[in-house]
Amino acid sequence: MSNLPDDPQGTPRWKQDFPVPSGEDSYATRREFTKFLGLTSVAFLAGTVVAAARKLWKQARASQSDSVAIATLEEIPAGGSKLFRYPTQDDACILLRLAPDKFVAFNQNCTHLNCPVHFDEANSRLACPCHHGFFSAEDGQAVAGPPRRGLAALTVSVRDGQVWVQNQLTREPS
Amino acid sequence: MTPTIRLRQRMQVVLHMVMAFVVAILMAQLWLFTVTLEAMESHDASLSIIAAALVCSLLGCVAIWALIRYFLRAEAQQQNQNG
Repeated sequence: MSNLPDDPQGTPRWKQDFPVPSGEDSYATRREFTKFLGLTSVAFLAGTVVAAARKLWKQARASQSDSVAIATLEEIPAGGSKLFRYPTQDDACILLRLAPDKFVAFNQNCTHLNCPVHFDEANSRLACPCHHGFFSAEDGQAVAGPPRRGLAALTVSVRDGQVWVQNQLTREPS
Repeated sequence: MTPTIRLRQRMQVVLHMVMAFVVAILMAQLWLFTVTLEAMESHDASLSIIAAALVCSLLGCVAIWALIRYFLRAEAQQQNQNG
């Protein structure tokens, strides 16, 4: 500790010994600022890589899953629907029987905010009760409300009196 | 005008140019990120779109680091020249 006299303006002696430039505490050098911009760019790149990897993983998982029987023909009357999970227990789907020989299946999550959609048989469309989004029951395309993308369609086939869903999500219903 | 002030002004101009480039590239990268997110959610999006977005984003990142490196090197050179 030096023997500096007290500042006439009242600055304590410790502050004279160890001056803290508080005005420069938030001062960023050019080097720091450019480094921040560079790291922001890396963050965008990392986000893009993660999104791309997730897309690839989804596609790989969809192509690996086998077709499964989800209902018998007697189980669903024409105009009826059935909920099921495919390819994993976390993926809710809905099967519709639009005519005696016409089946379609879609992912049940609304493409707006993931609420489950329900079959509105009277209007032949799938309705999301959360924000009143509507999808065509024929092909899953968004027809009204907030959703902009259509529902993901599953490939459906009928064999041996049973309804099977195929391994991949497609835009075109079978 | 002293050499130090001249240097500072020159570096300021270079900094503004570099910043303009960097901000433009960052905006493009943000847009590419949203395109990739949209493709991730969409089931009918082509993988080539994602691959193109990824490559462009990588190029943007490299360009930003190259610009920053150029700027810092130019600044250091100018400082050395002025003693």
